[in-house]
Amino acid sequence: MAAFPYYDNPAIDALNGQAVALLNLFAQRGYVREEPAVLQPAEIFLDRSGEEIRRRTFTLMDPSGRELCLRPDLTIPICREAVQQGRSFPARIAYNGLVFRHQPGEPHRATQFFQAGVELLGLDDRAAGETEILSLTIEALRVAGLKDFSLRIGDLALFGALVDALALPVQWRARLKRHFWRAGYVESLLYWLGHGDRKAALPGSRAEIEALLDTHADAPLAGRTREEIIARTMDRAADAAALKLDAKVADAIAKLLDISGPAETALAQARALLKTAGINLDPQLAAMDARLAALKSLGVDPAQVQFTAHFGRNMEYYTGFVFELWARDKEGPVQIAGGGRYDSMMEMLGAKQPVSAIGCALRTERLLAVKNFAGGA
Amino acid sequence: MAALTLAIPSKGRLKEKCDEFFVTAGLSMQQTSARGYRAAFPDIGDVEIMLLSASEIASSLVSGDVHLGITGEDLLREEAPELTGRVSLLKSLGFGNARVVVAVSEYWIDVETMADLDDVCAAYAATHRRRLRVATKYARLTRQFFAQNRISDYRIVPSAGATEGAPAAGTAEVIVDITTTGATLKGNGLKILADGLILDSYANLAASLTADWTDEAKAACKILLSRLDPSGGLQGKLSADLA
Repeated sequence: MAAFPYYDNPAIDALNGQAVALLNLFAQRGYVREEPAVLQPAEIFLDRSGEEIRRRTFTLMDPSGRELCLRPDLTIPICREAVQQGRSFPARIAYNGLVFRHQPGEPHRATQFFQAGVELLGLDDRAAGETEILSLTIEALRVAGLKDFSLRIGDLALFGALVDALALPVQWRARLKRHFWRAGYVESLLYWLGHGDRKAALPGSRAEIEALLDTHADAPLAGRTREEIIARTMDRAADAAALKLDAKVADAIAKLLDISGPAETALAQARALLKTAGINLDPQLAAMDARLAALKSLGVDPAQVQFTAHFGRNMEYYTGFVFELWARDKEGPVQIAGGGRYDSMMEMLGAKQPVSAIGCALRTERLLAVKNFAGGA
Repeated sequence: MAALTLAIPSKGRLKEKCDEFFVTAGLSMQQTSARGYRAAFPDIGDVEIMLLSASEIASSLVSGDVHLGITGEDLLREEAPELTGRVSLLKSLGFGNARVVVAVSEYWIDVETMADLDDVCAAYAATHRRRLRVATKYARLTRQFFAQNRISDYRIVPSAGATEGAPAAGTAEVIVDITTTGATLKGNGLKILADGLILDSYANLAASLTADWTDEAKAACKILLSRLDPSGGLQGKLSADLA
């Protein structure tokens, strides 16, 4: 793949033909096509997404000095528009367009590619929303002519519920959840938990904290309030006292995070482990069962569905169910679609109340390549 | 045009220390251009000395525009995150010390480590609905170090100068900057995080591995390096890295 792809006539015709078929399907299912600008104000992407997306975003400055960027995805501008227009929910939106990503250290990978996708915003019945998006994604692959693919599924909410079930200080629970998507790091956090945090050298009482702060009265507040600092200092002192995790439970979590395999077997393993640790995650496991049942009714072979407990996608905005679809091209396995739930996005973009959100994106160029490979094999 | 180009700092303390370094090795420099941007060693032929700013030297080494150069390791690592195969650090010269550190306000009594900063970054993003800003001239080193410490809820604000003033000025909450004694940071009400040392940098004699190493350049380099290190250690290291 060239860094700056050139689509010759057969290539662009094939892509367009595929896009028309996909958008027709989305339209039949009630998803209305929209198209955000290619050039976007940079701030929205840089403030609302973390450094991981930022370092892959092409930024530029307009002649007046305003910072702009080439859209690194379509989800954020579509969601922002829905917030700004005060759209009524549920809203079903489809898109097909170019996104631009810098590929650090990989100068030969394409800096732009087409994505087709859907966003389902504000549907309160989360299970129904997940089934809808999952089904639509699979239908889309079939419309595009792809028969053989496999799925990877996971659920960030499962881990969140697991952490919430532990008797841990709230900051530690937040830290574990925040780092769920970095599997190796969570293990080391668990290790710390077993061996205790650094001992708090800070005073715990409000009066002592205020006195200490006053000795630094000349130093800048640097964006935080005095109250924020006092509250966190008190929490931290309390944490150090409360920080203890039963070795048996820590062990069970570590084992649980290791679970990965054909979904039905993997979920059975998870159930057994949770029972040993005395943790009840029945609602979350039942949700996973329901997704598997939905996949089965779509005719997806259960052997092609892999559940990975620590699967959280390497993107920072997912909050719940996540999935990826994989196939093979001439170079090996390749991800052709992915999506999931991102329930905190709309509020981050200024929505006044929580708005549930789930969506998926298809890598249409890869989809064509994979289909041609399967067709030629 | 001489076969070998050597870039050294054009001004300030780094230049003085470089001159001392060469004088100690028995080499004196002589200006060859009226405006002082070119020099030569009268007793070693075929070496052109270019006087550049320290950051220009770093980018010239990385791009292969010069063969050898003396500049800070911090600047080299900022210019190219992965030096292997591009630049060989031949010798740390023991001067030009600059520690690249993460510093926050002393008022943040609850923040002592990168783990604390991680908590605060996440809490800040949640309550203020925007990312905490890190002012720095070292965007690449910062990104790398924050990633190693698993911090993602922040954004980098490029700083052109006086980075230490950013938290007080309200243009950033955290800074990554260089310090030697910590006095400037302290004067601005800032403290270094306990595990916030990104790089303990010194001036280095460095060789560009991507420069055009003609036989003449190699020969001139061999003579120069043998004067700087009669034991042959520098030459051995360069030959190994160029191989």
